[in-house]
Amino acid sequence: MTDVQDKVVATERTSVVATLFRFQSVFGLIAVFIAAIVFSPRKNGEILFISADNLANVVRAVSEIGIIAVGMTFVILIGGIDLSVGAVLGLAAVGSAVLMVEDNWGFLPSVLVVLVIGLLFGALQGIATAMIGIQSFIVTLAGLQIARGLARIWSGGQGVAIAYGDGPNEAPASFALLGERTFGGLVPIPVIIFAVVAIVAVVFLRVSAFSRHLYAVGGNEKAARLSGVPVVRVKVAVFAICGLLASLAGIVHAVQLNQGSPNDGLGYELDAIAAVVIGGTSLAGGRGSVAGTVAGALLLGVLNNILALNNIDSNIQLLIKGLVIVAAAALQRLRPTS
Amino acid sequence: MGSLKLPIATAAVAALVLAGCGTTNERTAGASPEASKSCKGADGTYTIGMSQANVAEPYRQRMDDDIKAAAKDVPQFDVKFADAAQDNAKQVADVENYITQQIDLLIISPNEAKPLTAVVKKAYDKGIPVIVLDRKVEGDAYTGFIGGDNVQIGREAGKYIAEKLLPQGGNVVELKGLAGATPQAERHEGFVEGIKGNPKVKVIAAASGDWLREKGQSQMDALLKANPKIDVVFSHNDPMAEGAYLAAKAVGREKEMKFTGIDALPIPSGGIKAVEQGRLSATFTYPTNGKEAIAAAKKILVDCGTIEKTQTLPTREIDASNAAKIYAEENPNG
Repeated sequence: MTDVQDKVVATERTSVVATLFRFQSVFGLIAVFIAAIVFSPRKNGEILFISADNLANVVRAVSEIGIIAVGMTFVILIGGIDLSVGAVLGLAAVGSAVLMVEDNWGFLPSVLVVLVIGLLFGALQGIATAMIGIQSFIVTLAGLQIARGLARIWSGGQGVAIAYGDGPNEAPASFALLGERTFGGLVPIPVIIFAVVAIVAVVFLRVSAFSRHLYAVGGNEKAARLSGVPVVRVKVAVFAICGLLASLAGIVHAVQLNQGSPNDGLGYELDAIAAVVIGGTSLAGGRGSVAGTVAGALLLGVLNNILALNNIDSNIQLLIKGLVIVAAAALQRLRPTS
Repeated sequence: MGSLKLPIATAAVAALVLAGCGTTNERTAGASPEASKSCKGADGTYTIGMSQANVAEPYRQRMDDDIKAAAKDVPQFDVKFADAAQDNAKQVADVENYITQQIDLLIISPNEAKPLTAVVKKAYDKGIPVIVLDRKVEGDAYTGFIGGDNVQIGREAGKYIAEKLLPQGGNVVELKGLAGATPQAERHEGFVEGIKGNPKVKVIAAASGDWLREKGQSQMDALLKANPKIDVVFSHNDPMAEGAYLAAKAVGREKEMKFTGIDALPIPSGGIKAVEQGRLSATFTYPTNGKEAIAAAKKILVDCGTIEKTQTLPTREIDASNAAKIYAEENPNG
């Protein structure tokens, strides 16, 4: 009898611990948030960190990396990696600027074409990975160079400035709206786009059959194939989604900076991977969640913000961020397996 | 469905109410740009935020160092530094963080003009005086710009090559900075003007070294192979000139040609030392303006004065005759 009781207690304990680990990034985010309030500089009794303007800045700064990181989560869930997302962001930023400013295209066609380019770029990388069998690290490393090269060619090697208006060489004013603020003049549109992307991804992973296939491929590709999962289709779809979201982030990037530059998004792939890792998704694939990634991205954003508000030396900032990533990965190792 | 209507309506009303609360006493367009509001005289203490485009380039690190050194002499000043690491989005966030911190004055050396224009204007509109260094922003929503004249520097370098190094004419190769960067375009433009006086000077090849020493070296490797006769290498900055020198030395051709650079940083690894030690024939100063920025900040905050909207600092030609002297002048403490 005691055996049984022990087992029950043990199982309950494991499930509590498992839950704690599952939401590690959420708890981490809460902890960092509280620490940020405590360590926030104050002026006239006001805690600067939690001022509405500052919080809006934090989420706005996070939104681009966040959108990319959602796509990256899918790729990492199937045990892959996508190093091309930063370069695809640059290509999309350049594309939207050139189409609207230099070629005088309308808002919708430009955005649609840019999104399709991202989608196709991702899909091609997926095909190279799934059908030719090249590791995704290599395929997307090549993809990174190709996307940067395309961005440089398309832009003529220069940043393309975006001016708004109805005249020639001006982007339609509707495009500017994408970067503006709404809801009390406070919540920036990029944040809303990020939120919508995240919610759609979470729901998608919960309800679709595709999601079961995705986790199956990530867990054990051979077993998945043997049990009839369309592995190739899943892989191509996942890389296509990742490319699509990277180009969406590129559009957001261009509108926020009023420019599309071929150098945009340099190193963003690493920030996105960091957000995914802090979010608790295993780089081995098969385990993780979009919600964790969102919390991971926010955690990095809050951390960046509070370090900057305290004027911590930029080199020390890098160090601290590195340690946080290692800590998150170390926690993953401690996580109970079942 | 009906049960959803009330919360939606409530949210909509809340949003509308919130939308009305966005007013603050922001500076309105057309108001005079005087910084009197932030001037508390000599008794005040001031926090200055310096937003640097990146500190990977020695030139920019020196700019920060010059600001730090100059600010030491103004006890009222506390200067913070942020490094955008060449990322426009990061620099926008850096400036926004400074605004949140309610700094008294912003010094910014923008990574690029267009993406930083809006956030600089935002700071300026909130009544924060803004001093823009080295690279401009668009429009006129800033207090003052201090910079060098890249066209002028390129012209001086071109003249030096046409008149002093190659009076009988000869072959020049040009090592350009990062494609798309304005200093690159301006230095090139000035250079072309500068050599016009001597039609026997021919630019036989050009390559982009992205401002980097190692890239300058590898580009020069190729240029050396393709061109049997090179008389002068004109480089858009000193590190690329040093790289080109190393490439030529590796194939034993460094004595056949002369090297000139731009920037003339007064640091051990900078161009002035390279001239002093004979690797470069000449370099042309591109002032960091750090000292001048703090002087301007003092004028605005402590003296309650105004500064000129644009202050262009002249370049100096540095060759073997004056390199040691200028290096000592710029580093009074050794």
